Amino acid sequence: MKKSNYIYIYPNDFTSLITLLGELAKSKILPLNIQDKNYIPGLFDKVIELDLSPLNTPAIISHIDKNILNTLFYLYLSNHEYKELIMYYFFLYSLKFKDKVFFHRDINIVDKALKIVKYVQNENHKLKGFTRFKELKRHILYAEITCENNIIFLLSNHFKKRLKNEFWIIKDVKRNILSIYDKKDFYLVDANNCNLKEIILSEEEQEIEDLWKSFYKTIGIKERQNDRCRLNFMPKKYWKYILEVSDEI
Amino acid sequence: MNLQEKLIILADSAKYDASCSSSGSTRNIKSKGLGNTFFSGICHSFAADGRCISLLKILMTNCCIFDCKYCLNRRSNNIKRAIFTPEEICQITINFYRRNYIEGLFLSSGIVQNPDYTMNLLIETISLLRNKYHFNGYIHAKAIPGASLYLVKKLGYLVDRMSANIELPTDKGLKLLAPNKDSKKVTNIMHYVKENRSAKFVSSGQSTQMIIGASQESDYDIMSKSSNLYQNYKLKRVFYSAYIPVNHDKNLPLIKTPPLVRENRLYQADWLLRYYHFKVEDILSSDNPNFNLLIDPKADWALRHLDEFPKDINHCSYEELLKVPGIGLKGAKRIISSRQYFTVTFKDLQKMGIVLKRAKYFITCNGQYLMTKDLWNADFITKNLVLEEQKHTTDTKKEQLALFL
Repeated sequence: MKKSNYIYIYPNDFTSLITLLGELAKSKILPLNIQDKNYIPGLFDKVIELDLSPLNTPAIISHIDKNILNTLFYLYLSNHEYKELIMYYFFLYSLKFKDKVFFHRDINIVDKALKIVKYVQNENHKLKGFTRFKELKRHILYAEITCENNIIFLLSNHFKKRLKNEFWIIKDVKRNILSIYDKKDFYLVDANNCNLKEIILSEEEQEIEDLWKSFYKTIGIKERQNDRCRLNFMPKKYWKYILEVSDEI
Repeated sequence: MNLQEKLIILADSAKYDASCSSSGSTRNIKSKGLGNTFFSGICHSFAADGRCISLLKILMTNCCIFDCKYCLNRRSNNIKRAIFTPEEICQITINFYRRNYIEGLFLSSGIVQNPDYTMNLLIETISLLRNKYHFNGYIHAKAIPGASLYLVKKLGYLVDRMSANIELPTDKGLKLLAPNKDSKKVTNIMHYVKENRSAKFVSSGQSTQMIIGASQESDYDIMSKSSNLYQNYKLKRVFYSAYIPVNHDKNLPLIKTPPLVRENRLYQADWLLRYYHFKVEDILSSDNPNFNLLIDPKADWALRHLDEFPKDINHCSYEELLKVPGIGLKGAKRIISSRQYFTVTFKDLQKMGIVLKRAKYFITCNGQYLMTKDLWNADFITKNLVLEEQKHTTDTKKEQLALFL
């Protein structure tokens, strides 16, 4: 392995990144960093973008074990500053240890990678519960969410199964991405390209929300009040879009 | 009375039931209809008491012909009564579910007219929800003790989980506080569900609940009952609900706050029974019938069996690892699978999610002990474990503990 002083740039998608990782591993390069196209280089940064088009992406991907590819994907969705580099090192260790890599908590970078994966999965699981839809005119369901990691794809997969026969839209407010579902599949689009200014709630929406809020207030047992426990399970950072607690902030 | 008032009354009456889990079932969405279930369950919100809200937990009605002394809805209480129509319950459930407020419905009821009549009300409602509204999410229903078995059968095919509450662990307690109840009627239902359980019939199993601290039973009585229920009726869960004084009666204890620490200890012991290969006799006995409120049951056991420790992480068996305080199921599995590939050190243990603060007194890594040898005595370890736990307890629990210190 030889160390490189270059920052490698990849087009902003998962398969290109995997192709790049495969190529770097093949040429035995340890890059200084790997960054997506939006990266703004510093004054002394040396950046390089490989031409990935002649490489056979499907072949590279089909060589990677399914569990390892999944792990790489979760890492890719995380908000970690050096996620690409962590992906690369995890990938290298997976070449060495194959599927036994998951047991190697003694290696710091493997341990770190697995913890990040857990964090992404946990947040995804939390949002499966915390997402709140509002009904708009014409029975469209609309939800706004906020999350640390880029989990809107995972979340959409969940709701695609659960709310199969509904039209729904989920907005990741922080990243300004919309997921739009048309009863067949969902599409991730940049919110700037969509005109969602005219969000008009359906007539019964307010009534249902009030019902839910009064249910929420009633179901807690006063004699057992435990704010710390509630905060542990439902951190404040999500409260803004959870309607039953949003007015408690 | 409008819908909101009804919901408040009937949720308020239902809130004392501890069960709110939505796990154990895999229903996939059908071409028509709404919803699916998620095997590990999903919590949608957390109430001000820190308990998970995953189901719309309501009573069909809070009218009841029984007069159980500990219950808010007892016949002789002068409270507002309400009843939902099946259609109203369906409307609320569907509207909440579409907006992703809930994972499904938990429907229970006070007993009106007679058990069969009440059971029919539940069946009518749930069948409407499943067949007219094509609701395919999670449903947990209470079986009404004393209802005919053909009705239990009918209900079982509609729901994911069924439960009948045992309420008090001994017949003596029942006679005193719930004179209309008969534990035989509850176990009859449990037996029937156990015998007929399948992927289509009560797929995620049955559970029950006991009230803690309303009667004189010891923790040993309660745990023995639980163990018996797990063995004989293959229950998924036994829930423990700290008694909250809602009524005044000469047969009820005079307490101001619910016994939350005790409830917590019972849950911890319950996990030890189900997953950690412990038996009731290991942790309690007739000479030692109640839990030590200062220390959790596993650590308490370990301190009484200090001669079996310390265990060496790299050599002891999976079962032995499970008995070390601070090591959980996942941790034990990780240790076992990792040590095939490398020798585990204290540093690795931390990464694997083992609580070293607690485990360090009971383990060695490659013969190395983290503490000094002369501190190897039960008094020292107990003091430290108690202090450690105090840091993590909430203020209300601290008040209760203060009584014992």
